[in-house]
Amino acid sequence: MQNVIELKHVTKEYGDFKLDDVSFSVPEGSVCGFIGQNGAGKTTTIKLLLDVIGMDSGEIYLFGQNIQNNSATLREDIGVVFDEMGFHEFMTGRDINIMMKNIYKNWDENVFFEYLKRFSLPSKKRCGDFSRGMRMKLQIAVALSHHAKLLVMDEPTSGLDPIVRNEMLQIFREFVVEEDHTILLSSHITGDLEKLADEVVFINGGKIILSGNKDEILEKHGLLKCKKQELSSIDASHIVSVQPGTFGVEVLVRDRQACKRQYPDMLIEPVSLEEIMLFYVNREAR
Amino acid sequence: MKGLIIKDLMCLRKQLVIYLYVVVSALILSVMFVLSAKYGNIALGGQEMMQENGMTYTDIKNLSTWVLGIFLLLPIATVSDAATIFIEDGKAGFSMVSASLPLSVKQRILAKYLTVLTMFGISVATEIVIITVLSVLTDIVSFTQFFGMMFSCASLMSIYSALVIVFCFLYGHGKEDFAIISSVALMVFTAVLCNIRSFKQLFLAQSDTQSVQAFDAFIKFFQQKFYILFFFAILTMAVSYVVSVWIAGRKRGVI
Repeated sequence: MQNVIELKHVTKEYGDFKLDDVSFSVPEGSVCGFIGQNGAGKTTTIKLLLDVIGMDSGEIYLFGQNIQNNSATLREDIGVVFDEMGFHEFMTGRDINIMMKNIYKNWDENVFFEYLKRFSLPSKKRCGDFSRGMRMKLQIAVALSHHAKLLVMDEPTSGLDPIVRNEMLQIFREFVVEEDHTILLSSHITGDLEKLADEVVFINGGKIILSGNKDEILEKHGLLKCKKQELSSIDASHIVSVQPGTFGVEVLVRDRQACKRQYPDMLIEPVSLEEIMLFYVNREAR
Repeated sequence: MKGLIIKDLMCLRKQLVIYLYVVVSALILSVMFVLSAKYGNIALGGQEMMQENGMTYTDIKNLSTWVLGIFLLLPIATVSDAATIFIEDGKAGFSMVSASLPLSVKQRILAKYLTVLTMFGISVATEIVIITVLSVLTDIVSFTQFFGMMFSCASLMSIYSALVIVFCFLYGHGKEDFAIISSVALMVFTAVLCNIRSFKQLFLAQSDTQSVQAFDAFIKFFQQKFYILFFFAILTMAVSYVVSVWIAGRKRGVI
């Protein structure tokens, strides 16, 4: 399967922040959750990916092509949704349609107005008067109306109520029904990604700390609960990080099945993406 | 790219409305002025000035030409505020949207220049109508002289716009006021430097005749040598575009 997104040893240094040797790939037809706390480097990575900012070193490939000197053409197939709308407040849906149909070669105004209708967005109302949910929906309508093959979204669900968030996740699901459609979705709301993502990439402090198939990651990791005294008996190679729990300590282990075999008397539970993120972030903080 | 030009023109919607008012006002005022200079109080005033102040017919004519020049400058000045586009883009946070569009940095910058040139195109076309009307009504200034003045005004304002754009890119969003101040300062400084003798003559004139001569020289320059300003306008636009592309390349994510 072809990789739609491929980052190889990408670095970008700002004064107080460094995106350090970032490498990951997103296969075609998958939904990749890009997870990390605020300030972890998600937005910077997305900006590099879209060639909005230049990288210091490394290589980025989109649809198998290097983005250097090629990014403008490649963006024709990419729909982008940011956490803030970015359109002028005086603009209406109709204005945006006029602008976009003169920019994108594949802009489909029928699709755009259908999305506006579906999202109950008035096409004659100024988007400055829209609520946050409506603004996000407008961005999604724009991103989906030029037959993009890749959706890149930076925190699209943050600050939205659960109903609107679910509605949006449903739209994303519909988008990836097409085999060649791919999504890169950055978020710190891991619950959304657990529902939607096939692949996950964890980033923390500008470094990729974990990446791979979501189910495999969830299947492999486990939360071992034991007394503090028992901790020393656990093989250190299994341990990702340890946190104090209600009745002892909680240990995130790399291989749940192996640990179950090795320590049959200990309680090892499945773990959520959020817990994995927290344990990995705590490990890095030490 | 056409889409970005349309978006920029939408940003200038308010300005276009103001422009319409200014054009109509300028047309009415200038027609009233030339009619009054022919048949009314301004004609009488001119005669009195010639009799009592010892002014010549040429002096009065030049004074009227200055007044008409200001009327012609007003509409062009209204459309040449490129900073508004940057202010609106900055307020909306449009830079991220713009950077995610399938357009190169060069195209995105070119769109800004084409918007400004479109606005100038509109204003020049309208002004040609105005000067045609005026040249029929008055013999103070001929159509060719009017055309020269109008072209000089448009060239000056396009130099100003080109400078504003490059300073807006240089300073970044939120500093458009500084871009305007810098552009005006640079233009004034260059104008004084290039015409140091004329300005000296104008401000240190020992007699009225000397200052009138200096004014005459400026009027003649605007009317007859408009192609020099036009050449500098094209040059400034081209240099401004190249510099803007260079700045935007270094400060990617700014536009």
